[in-house]
Order: sequence, then C-alpha cells, then structure tokens
Amino acid sequence: MTETELVRKLREAEGLAVIGKSVQRLDSLDKILGVPLYTSDIAPKDAVRVKVVRSTVPHALIKRIDTQSAKQVPGVVVVLTAQDIPGINEAYSLLPDRPLLATTKVRCQGEAVAVVAAGDLEIAEEAADRVSVEYERLPAVLSPVEAMRTDSVRVHDSGNVAKYLKVRKGDVKEGFRQADVTIENTYKTQFQDPTALEPEVGMAWVEKDGSVTCVGSMQTPFYVQTGVAKVLGVSPDRVRVIQATTGGAFGPKSDEMPIDTCAISALVAQKTGKPAILAYSRHESMIAHTKRHPFVITLKTGAKNDGHLTASEALVVSDTGAYASLGPLVIIRACFHATGPYVIPHVKTDAYCMYTNNTMAGSFRGFGSPQVHFAAECQMDELAKKLDMDPLDLRLKNMLRPGTLTATSQPVDDACGLEECATRAGEASNWRTKRLEFSGDRGTFRRGIGIALMYHGNSLGPEGNDYAAVQILIKPDGKVVVRTALTEYGTGAISGLAQMAAETLGLPIDQFELDRPDTASCQETGPTVASRVIVIGGRAAQLAAQKLKDKILTVAGDLLHCNPSRLTTRDGLIRHPDDPGWTISFEKVVEECHKRHVSLTETGFYMAPKCEFDPENSQGTTYQQYTYGAVVAEVEVDTELGVVKPVKITVAYDVGRAINPLSLEGQIEGGTIQALGYGLMEQLIHVDGIVANPTLGDYYIPTSLDIPEIQTIIVEYPGTVGPYGAKAMGEPPVDLPAAALANAVAHATGSRIFDLPLTAEKVLFAIKQKR
Amino acid sequence: MARHLVKLNVNGKDHALVVESTERLLDVLRDRLNMKGVKEGCGTGDCGTCAVIMDGRLVNSCLMLAVQARDKRIVTIEGVGTRERLHPVQKALMKYNAAQCGFCIPAIVLAGKNLLDYNPAPSRDEIKQAISGVLCRCTGYYKLIEAIQEAAKEIREVSV
Repeated sequence: MTETELVRKLREAEGLAVIGKSVQRLDSLDKILGVPLYTSDIAPKDAVRVKVVRSTVPHALIKRIDTQSAKQVPGVVVVLTAQDIPGINEAYSLLPDRPLLATTKVRCQGEAVAVVAAGDLEIAEEAADRVSVEYERLPAVLSPVEAMRTDSVRVHDSGNVAKYLKVRKGDVKEGFRQADVTIENTYKTQFQDPTALEPEVGMAWVEKDGSVTCVGSMQTPFYVQTGVAKVLGVSPDRVRVIQATTGGAFGPKSDEMPIDTCAISALVAQKTGKPAILAYSRHESMIAHTKRHPFVITLKTGAKNDGHLTASEALVVSDTGAYASLGPLVIIRACFHATGPYVIPHVKTDAYCMYTNNTMAGSFRGFGSPQVHFAAECQMDELAKKLDMDPLDLRLKNMLRPGTLTATSQPVDDACGLEECATRAGEASNWRTKRLEFSGDRGTFRRGIGIALMYHGNSLGPEGNDYAAVQILIKPDGKVVVRTALTEYGTGAISGLAQMAAETLGLPIDQFELDRPDTASCQETGPTVASRVIVIGGRAAQLAAQKLKDKILTVAGDLLHCNPSRLTTRDGLIRHPDDPGWTISFEKVVEECHKRHVSLTETGFYMAPKCEFDPENSQGTTYQQYTYGAVVAEVEVDTELGVVKPVKITVAYDVGRAINPLSLEGQIEGGTIQALGYGLMEQLIHVDGIVANPTLGDYYIPTSLDIPEIQTIIVEYPGTVGPYGAKAMGEPPVDLPAAALANAVAHATGSRIFDLPLTAEKVLFAIKQKR
Repeated sequence: MARHLVKLNVNGKDHALVVESTERLLDVLRDRLNMKGVKEGCGTGDCGTCAVIMDGRLVNSCLMLAVQARDKRIVTIEGVGTRERLHPVQKALMKYNAAQCGFCIPAIVLAGKNLLDYNPAPSRDEIKQAISGVLCRCTGYYKLIEAIQEAAKEIREVSV
C-alpha cells in the first residue's frame, strides 16, 4: 500500500462527510449570473469620480504644484494635495517610507501627487492633466545591485537597504573544500504584474454622524481601516471598511493600494460631502500597484562526484522599488528557501531587499519563492549536467525527507511527501523515456523535458503573529452564516471555512451562507495573505463550530433524553446512539435553542504556535509545516524562431489534505498558468525607471490558446497545523513552473537561459551562442 | 458635441436613447441600462471582460461606440440565465467551481453561449479559440473549457 492509499483509507475510516469532497463553492451562483457585486457595480449614482495625478519621473524634487488651472475646469468639485490631508500623510505597510501624496520629493514613476474629483470621469481626467507639477530631476538608481554600492544614489535618507538577513549553517568554506565539483551562476528575474482582472478600486462616503464608510476591492479590511483612519486623523472606530466582491487580488490588494483607493476617496468624500469613487485605469494600475520583485541571485554550489551536495552560498538581492511595501517580508521567505528543498550541510545565504527608483514591488502570490526556486532549480540542472547525472536522480539523492534538516536546520517531520511528488510526477510525465528520447532531437523543432522541486513554508512563520478569528452563527431558520474579515478574492478558501464548520456540525454545505467582511461586524483577524485561510482560518472555524455543536448537543440531549456526549450529528440529523431511528433534526434543535434563549453565535480564535529560531543566523523552525511539490514541463522549441511552445505540464503536490479537490485543482491550474506566463512571456519593462508596457496589449498574460495539457497529482501527507492536515495551496502552484520550463528549454536547446522570461529572442540568442 | 438618437435591443427589450458621439457602448450598458454584469477590465479591448453578443458576434463593448450599436440586438449576461433556470454553460461552470474571482465570468458565459449557439459540438480547440478573447487570471482556463464542453454535451442531449 502506498502512503497515499494509506491516507485515503484512514480518511474513509474517519467517515468524513464534507471534507475532501468536491462540494460547490458558496459564491458561485451570483458570479455566474453577473449580479452586481464588485465595487464599481454598486457605487452610488451621485458618487463623484476621482482621478489621481501621478509622477512622470523616477526621481525628482517637487518645486511647485499648480492646481489653479485644474480648479477652473467646469465640473471639477475639488482638487487636493498633501496639504489638504487632515491626519498623517502616510500609506506604508512596514517601513515608514511612503506618503499617500508626495510633498517635496517623488522617488518613482506613478507616485500620487494630487487628486482631482468631478461628477464625470472625463472631466476629472481633463482637470488632472491640467495640474502642473514642476520637477527638479535627480539622478536615479535603477538596479538593485547598483543600489548596494556605497556611492549609489540614495532613494531614502536611511539608505538603500530596506532589509538584510542571512542564513548560516555549518561552515561553508569547509563545505566547498569537501566538494569535488563547484559551480557558480547568476540568475535574474523580472517584474511580474499581478493582473487581477479587476483593477484597484475603492469608494467612500460620510455617514450622518460624521464617520466614514469605505467599500473596496481588497484582501485585508482592517489594514485599510487603520490606514484610512490615520490619513483622516480619526480613530479607527470612526472608519468602517467593507470588502466588496474582489475581482482577483494575488497579493497586491493586501498591502498599500487598497489604502490608497479608500483613503483618497475618503478625503474627497469628506471635502465634498458626496460619495466618491476612485477606480484605477488598467494603465494606472500597472504603474502604481505593487508587482513581483525582480531578483538577482548568485548561487555557488558544491557537490561530491556522486552527486551529494556539500555546500551552498547564495547572494539574493531583490528590487523593491522606491517603497518597501512588503519587500522586507518577501526577502525573508526568499532567504529561507534559497537553497531549494535539499539537504545541504553547509549553507551561507545573504539576502538584501534594496530600494531603487523603479516602481514599487510588494506582496505577490509566492512571495519571493518563485524567484529563488527558479534560481535553485536551474542550478540543480546545471550541476546535474556538470556531474553527467540525470536531473531527477540528482534531486532524489539530495531532497528533503523526514528526519533531514532544512537550510535553517529545522528537522523535516513525517509530513513530507516530496519524494512521492517527484517520483509520481516523473512517472506520469514519462520522464526517463522522454529525457533520453528528446536528447537526440536535432531538427528545427526540438522537444525538451525539465523538472523542478519545491518546498513552501506555510502561512506567516516568522513574518508575524499568525492568528485568525472566525465567527459562526446559526439563524432561527437553521441557516448557518460564516462571518470573518478573512476575505474571498477568488480562491474559494472562505467556502472552505464553511466546509470545516459543516463537517464539525454534521450539516450539508448548502445550509451555509457567507457574510461580507466588514470591520463593523467582524473581529480583527490578521491579514488574508500567505495562503492562510484554510490552514489558520480553518482552525478558527473548527473551534467556533465546535462551541456551537456543544450547545446544540446539550439541548438535543435534553430533547432526546440522552447524555450529549453520546449523540452524533450527520447530514443535518442528530442521532441517539441506542436506536438509529431515534433522531431529531438540526432545525428542530435550533428552534428549541432560540426558545430557550441559547445564543447560537460563537467565535473561534486560533493562534499558530510560535516559530522558535535564532534570528542572528536564522537557524531553527522557520515555518510550522511545509507544502512540497514537483513540476515537470515538456516543451517544443522552434530553433529557427526561438519560440517555446509548452506541450505538457505535470504537477504533483503534497497538499496535506485536499479539503475540496475541485477547488484545489482550480488553484493549481490557475497558479500553473500564472507561472507559465512568468516563465515564458510576462515582464513589466522599466526603461530609465519608466514602465514601458503598462497595457494588456503590450504586457502579455496567457490566453486560452497558450495553455498546454496539464496533469495534476494530489499527494497527501497530513501536516501538523492545518485542519485535517491541510497545507497551504494558494501560492505554491506558482513556485515551480518557470523553473521547470527553463530546464526543459535548456534540455531542448542545450543552452541555459539565466534570466526570465524565456522569450524567443533570448532562446534564439542562446542557441546561436552555442553554435 | 453631437447627439444621436440610438435605438437598440438589449436582452430582448427595445431601448431608444440619446447618446453623445463619443459615448462607449460599455458605459451605456453599465450606467444607463444598469447592466452591471458587463465589466471594464482595461478599456483598451485587450481583456475581453466587457464582451457582449451583438447580432450573434462577440464584441468588446469598450471598443464600440454607442452609435455603432444602432438597430442592433445585444445580449449581456443579464439576458442569459436566471437563478431558477441557468443556461447550460452557467450550470456547468457552477458544477466545476469554475468561477473564482468571477470578474471574467460574464464574458466567458457569453463567449461559451455564443459558440454553442452556432456549434453545439465544438472541439476542445474550437472552445479555446472561442474564449481566447477573454482573459482569465484565476483558472488557467481549464475548468472553463471543461465546463463549456460539458454544456455542449448537455445541449446536444436535450436537442436529440
């Protein structure tokens, strides 16, 4: 019996009714009917439209802002600059570096300088064009490596290093002394745009009592509440924030842009007394919002002739642009995962998050992991080539397994299915046959097959307090409402919370409803980031449901004349243990609870165990559990045109426990294609600090015609933190495809491309160079 | 600016509107006829979330002027299915949990419906082609394609 079959047997023995089932999401129907759900759909008719005037230069002193001409445009209701902010002019996530509206200096293109509002968007746009900002240009630093030099232009007075950290394990010099083979390479990654289909949008109005209500597209309402209150100079309880249905997020809607859209709308609403809405244009969105950090990664790797790794030395440098956003946390995750999922006795990693005058990078699905996995996994293939070994064999020899130690010396627990992932992805993709077969390709169209492995520390780890609050309430008619400020923005995770509660309460999923995240009705619950909802939020939902179950069973025990602890619940029925026919419906008991004034509202609060580690050398437990995975990519390269056609992607992930297999597949497939875009076509190009392609006509994301065949394999080694052993699966699907594709292209062409994306030009150049 | 009287039919209902020369069909549908299921994802014809069916063709309403819709029959998501009676494409999308963020879904439903109106037995490639004008960032398109395949099957079975 394989491990997975064993797990499956165990699950069946548990008799789960809802967990592990492909139940329907609770938010599908409204979306499929096109019901008005999103912020712009529900804006009040009389809302004024807001347009932001943004910096057009990467680095400059602001000498003068002239708003006179803009104010004279008929129909303009207000023009605002930093002087009009009643509270504190700040809109940052971690480091106090970013104003909401620039005052004396701009540090990148797209920085907000002034705000114009009018009844009509066209008028607002015309007036925004008439705001004249006089700049005195400053020299700019546009590369993170350049920014490290002592004589570099300084983006902030505090210097250009937004965050530095390191990992030290063993003695790396000794490790390289033991090595028979040492290779060193530098890998580069690009800015990737998140491209949520709904651009950023927020709106606000002033209530009769003077408090402010904001509605917007966002991941974390309580961050927005704090941010808006600070700008308005009021206490947070005077600001109510509601998350509207959010048309994709992928990370950037967790940090600063939702603060900007809501705070600017709130400022306008306060000044004008009218509701105000700020909806970014796509062009504006692609310049202003946070993107995936470009990285420059130099890896030096040592191995014995038999393939065993002895040492890894890494210099990891990220470009966070002019403002840190969540860059200092992104670099932490990147630093810890920089070796890839391998056992290496001697490790030295130095990681820098650097300021430059490029546009801002920040939180984006994967959070530093896709960049370092690209480097680490290309490096493994280069090493395999040098050792004349099969890339899968080299990985099998070195991969993390239960009982081994990670780069931070964290012991790997039994919940590690990496070997099964690699083996099964290899088998399903026909790795060994194809690796051999394609190596002989000599024609114009050449096939290649590449593999990559990953591990992904779950949830926040050392990034912050890892807690969640979920409230569950049962209405008199028996409908159950899940209420939390954890947000749904596409993944289906909030429906997953309902599944947790349904399993605990013994109810069918269609008895559940989801409430809107609202700071007025929800408890603060930490951010909706880091694929946390199922793993951490799920535990909170279970706790809330358990409290309700205890109450329900107490009353049911009364009605059935039975000790509550002996009762069981399933499919909406509460059963007496002695007689299978002796049941009472859930609704009946709920009715009785209401008669007896038993409150059926409970909140579950869960805090993950703290990660114990030594911050000086980053040794110890960095994350409580890990997701593991393997991706194999098969490509066909046109060696005359350089075009890479993905043929098949095989993915295998150790997900701990699939809560909803159908939704899980949706996450895996979507993430794979987002990462395929990252690997093959997506790059937001900066020329002298100016974004050259901020439109979806010039920045390509995959269409339905770009997708290869996909095969998904689910492996389950239940983790210790997530409910039912579930592991994080929102982000991990984006970690590997680019690396696997790069390795496949190298296999097809015989030449390595060290920087993403793998565009036709680069492929052609690499092939020509080899000749 | 010149104004024009435009008569058009949206979801089976006739409308007569006075529009300006520069008014986009997208804005007329969203703001004046309250069809909020028509989305604006880029305004430049690249993302396809504003797609509607006009005289049997899928068009980007952000690239159409309202005057170009004169005397045309337009179908938006509001005219496709109801809560009680979903279109087969909608039903299948539900079944596959294919709507994630949901922003592209109205356009995907319309693209799928329009394809099946003409071709009840499309190949996988024909489905890919039919939805290729609509970008989706959540699903990787797989569940969308599977759902349209299943809807086609259902339509064929019903019509037999």
